Amino acid sequence: MPDSVTIKGRQSPAAASASPFLEVRNLHKRFGGVQALKGVSFVIERGRTYHLMGENGCGKSTLIKIISGAQQADGGELIIEGQRVESLDPIGALSAGIETVYQDLSLLPNLSVAENVALSGQLVAAKGRLARRLDRKALHRTAVKALSAAGLPTDAYFLATPVEELPIATRQLVAIARAIASDAGLVIMDEPTTALTRREVDNLVRVVRGLHDNGVSVLFVTHKLDECKAIGGTAIILRDGQKITECDVAEQSKAQLGFWMTGRQLDDKRYRETPHTGERRLAVDGLSARGFEDVSFEVARGEVFGITGLLDSGRNELALALVGIGPARRGHVSLDGTPVALTSPAKAIQAGIGYVPEDRLSEGLFLEKSIRENIIMAVLDRLRGPFGLLDGRRASALAQKTVDDLQVATPDINLPITSLSGGNAQRVLIGRWLTISPRLLVLHGPTVGVDVGSKDTIFRIIQKLANEGMSVIVISDDLPELLQNCDRIMVMRKGRIDQVFAAEGLEEDVLYRAMTAVSPVADQRRGVA
Amino acid sequence: MTDIAADQAANSMPTESGINRFARWLVRHPPVVTAALIALVCLVVGTINPDFWQMSNLFDMARSTVVRGLFALGVLVVLASGGLDVSFTAIAAFVMYVMTMLVTNYVPDLPILVILLVAALGGALLGAMNGLLVSTLKAPSLIVTIGTQYVIRGFLLTFIGTALFMNIPNAMDAFGKWALFQHTGANGAVSTMPVYVLVLALAIIVTWFMLNRTLMGRAIYAVGGNAGIAERLGYSLRRVHIFVFAYAGLLAGIAGIMHVSSNRLANPFDLAGSELEVIAAVILGGARITGGSGTVLGTMLGVVLITLVSNVLILVGIPSTSQLAILGLFIVGAGALFSIKPRG
Repeated sequence: MPDSVTIKGRQSPAAASASPFLEVRNLHKRFGGVQALKGVSFVIERGRTYHLMGENGCGKSTLIKIISGAQQADGGELIIEGQRVESLDPIGALSAGIETVYQDLSLLPNLSVAENVALSGQLVAAKGRLARRLDRKALHRTAVKALSAAGLPTDAYFLATPVEELPIATRQLVAIARAIASDAGLVIMDEPTTALTRREVDNLVRVVRGLHDNGVSVLFVTHKLDECKAIGGTAIILRDGQKITECDVAEQSKAQLGFWMTGRQLDDKRYRETPHTGERRLAVDGLSARGFEDVSFEVARGEVFGITGLLDSGRNELALALVGIGPARRGHVSLDGTPVALTSPAKAIQAGIGYVPEDRLSEGLFLEKSIRENIIMAVLDRLRGPFGLLDGRRASALAQKTVDDLQVATPDINLPITSLSGGNAQRVLIGRWLTISPRLLVLHGPTVGVDVGSKDTIFRIIQKLANEGMSVIVISDDLPELLQNCDRIMVMRKGRIDQVFAAEGLEEDVLYRAMTAVSPVADQRRGVA
Repeated sequence: MTDIAADQAANSMPTESGINRFARWLVRHPPVVTAALIALVCLVVGTINPDFWQMSNLFDMARSTVVRGLFALGVLVVLASGGLDVSFTAIAAFVMYVMTMLVTNYVPDLPILVILLVAALGGALLGAMNGLLVSTLKAPSLIVTIGTQYVIRGFLLTFIGTALFMNIPNAMDAFGKWALFQHTGANGAVSTMPVYVLVLALAIIVTWFMLNRTLMGRAIYAVGGNAGIAERLGYSLRRVHIFVFAYAGLLAGIAGIMHVSSNRLANPFDLAGSELEVIAAVILGGARITGGSGTVLGTMLGVVLITLVSNVLILVGIPSTSQLAILGLFIVGAGALFSIKPRG
């Protein structure tokens, strides 16, 4: 495959054939007392796919920040197209052809699609100076070319649409179009597929293959083993600031890759063992709201009930209706036989429904507060001491107990919540809802942005809660996660219930086909490459 | 592959009812609402009191938009970058008073063009100081400019002077009277459209060009949309901050001279307190207070609307106290309307 690489237009052929696109040599970086990178080296050839893999805290984000010029290394070398680079700032990295698509996609919400795609090019050409005429013709030309390469529409309406009005999957493609427009030699995708459905991932894979045909390399930063296997390429595995190994993902089993990442044996066993007890806890009857229509289902005591579907399936809206954020227009909900009116989050909490939202940072956590305060937030009235003030001792005891129960890795509950990794923050959030002893816990994307090791812990917590009698609803598009954890899985499509499956022994493909409701074209799709 | 992605993107814009589409269009084009409000006020007032359509009245209105309009353009640029400036009135007062004093005492024959240039430069310097503070201290610009407003005004009144200048320099006086054209009404009254409205016209064109046709303009909106992301993409926050505040200061400096020229006196206590009204005009023109949006056209419509409400309601017998209430209702209405975000 490397031999058939087409050389990009912006380089002289001689230079291009002589050296790899990027070579990283013996990179070191420390933050205070923490050695984040301990001498990492690897080579990025042209027109190939790489996966930088590792658990949170293994140093992969630091590495990406250094390559993209956001941070400086303490030691080591970066060699781009055969040239040693002394220090790299963001503009320098961009003009060297390194384009990073961060998890938030780095799109400017208020600017148009065309501007998001093509403005960076002009900024780089001007070397960051701003007293320059805007070349609107070039902007339009570049945008149209890059958007069509990313498989997006190029009509005037789409070009002028502010990015904030687009759904997340389209935004992702816009971010890729920007990378194409800036004539990148290397596109770094930082945890790119967290919010996408499988169909959208497939689409992404096609766009990436298109990039390879133009000699562009792609580096995925990820801890999702399934997607690495689906995409293929070379895995560079980091653990604890060091490169453990480099290998072809196709030749290694997921278990082996997982072992290298975590240093522990992981398997994709089913976590759900004890079946649910059968008594009815939640009954939803004819529920309708904006986004879904006439939804009825029941969840038993101690059952783990999965809900999945594409982004427009109404699953998110259903979740919001169940927790009082986006109240339903019609229909009834009852808990343990008592009808409940879920018209606000406060009502839902009173009824005994806890909710862990998908977007922890913006919807779930109080980022400026400590771990302790984040945990006790839902039960402040219960912790009232004399004179109606907060009883600090009881509050701390409760927070400490929650942290211990859920194995949150922190030396001190008074540290800011932002000091925790994604998986630990998620556990704090789950812990907060456990303080109200809910009868029903709604988990929305419980392991989005959480690494393999933490995933395991969170799954164990879910099972423990269910076994103790709590009903758990898991809303997710991570199908293996649902299959491993649920008793039953409900598939929604276009705002309605499509089917409810028993999870035991269910094939992922069956679920996927129900979600997308396409006839078996999987093989045909793979043939496109 | 193109088909599926295009199909996906098309799915993101589901077919909507006509009303929905109109609402979405309105939210994308807020100045339409402002223009409609202006038309409504004109129609109502003009029907009740046809004097509204007198040339003299229209000229009056045009004159009184100049200072407010210059201020508003400055506020727009700062607001678009995600900041907020309330020090511009203090800068204007400082520049106009100091310039009037210096010119009167030392170079009474200085031509108006030079006066304007020096005032613009002085204003820009004071503004750049704001920008430097905002970008170095990483403090919210509202707080910083509240502070500098007090400092500048306090400095002016303590160390420069508090006495009114009744005899302003000849060049400024003549500039204030210089007629672009005159109109003789049916009753023989002569009303004048002064040349200085062209200063606002020029400022409108320059600001529009800067915002829409230069990289700086796009950078301003980029920073206003999300400063963190803009910085990561290579936009220099420092350059943008210093530029927007210097630009607002520059316009404020010019506005100060316009104010003196048209009022034929320099009062250091003038202009204070009109900051909120100017910010309201920009918001009425469709700019979001959170930054990243706003247009020159919308801003000017907002200025016209505020000027209309505060100048002409008196023609239909609405006392000035209720004018305030009406203005307030417009602002609350616009705030509610423009805060509706189009859904993705």
